[in-house]
Amino acid sequence: MTATLHFEDFAPGRTWEIDGPVVTREAIVEFATRFDPQYFHLDERAAAHSPFGGLIASGWHTVSICMRLICDAYLLQAASLGSPGVDEVRWLKPVRPGDRLRLRTTVLDAKPSRSRPDRGTVLHRWELFNQRDELVMQMQGYGMFARRPA
Amino acid sequence: MFRYYFEDFRPGWTFEQGERTLTAEDIVRFAREWDPQRYHVDEEQARRSPFGGLIASGWQTACVAMRLMCDGYLNASACVGSPGIEEIVFRAPVRPGDTLRFRSTATEARPSKTKPNRGTVVFNWEVLNQRGEVVLSMIGTQLFLRRGAGDPGA
Repeated sequence: MTATLHFEDFAPGRTWEIDGPVVTREAIVEFATRFDPQYFHLDERAAAHSPFGGLIASGWHTVSICMRLICDAYLLQAASLGSPGVDEVRWLKPVRPGDRLRLRTTVLDAKPSRSRPDRGTVLHRWELFNQRDELVMQMQGYGMFARRPA
Repeated sequence: MFRYYFEDFRPGWTFEQGERTLTAEDIVRFAREWDPQRYHVDEEQARRSPFGGLIASGWQTACVAMRLMCDGYLNASACVGSPGIEEIVFRAPVRPGDTLRFRSTATEARPSKTKPNRGTVVFNWEVLNQRGEVVLSMIGTQLFLRRGAGDPGA
């Protein structure tokens, strides 16, 4: 694989607007069955009696959707060296069957590594919106990227 | 109706259980769907990456934690969701054949000021491998109904 995006391409302020999928009931239930089988992610009738008033997607499903969108939009073209972690994941509003999602990512900060001159760390904010432009999730993620070869 | 309510998760409460072994197939299947970076989907390219071989997506490890939590105690609890996670740290790679355990420790519990039927609990969640190394840690928050609070829909 030849990477086309390097550390230098993630300048603070750069943003990506990425159209996402319509989240179906089947996708919500399938994800939850495998990874997060709480009743309000699995069972429409039981969910109706939960504080959410109906079926909602697992927050991990929402995050996973974002990750896939970022991979397809730019990360697979980047010289990515992994991630040390994530801060301040906020699940602000439920994601319900039929919701159409849209992701915005913004570079907040980019620091060359002090100990390893071949790489740097980039801090991104992820903001996920629904079809009513309501912010449903946000988080901040760190990624390490190789520097552009001289 | 439930076995565990807000009152049961006092600071110091702890739970530890596993186990889930991730095969190369499990790792590639998850990654093809959600995180198809080269070191999660392709043995050959992963060998030439800084990780020296296939590793699991960090989100897969988090999902394993969630599933072990559900199976261990959460589905027997009056949990009514999570507002978020303060931090997730991917501490060590998870490789094919690793057997993961899950440990949860409550660190803080406070009744809601606005909704008297529930409270917030803060947890340290850790995923450990078969050598006892912490591979992922999270500080997560969940909401639980209080005992005797009645219908969760209220």
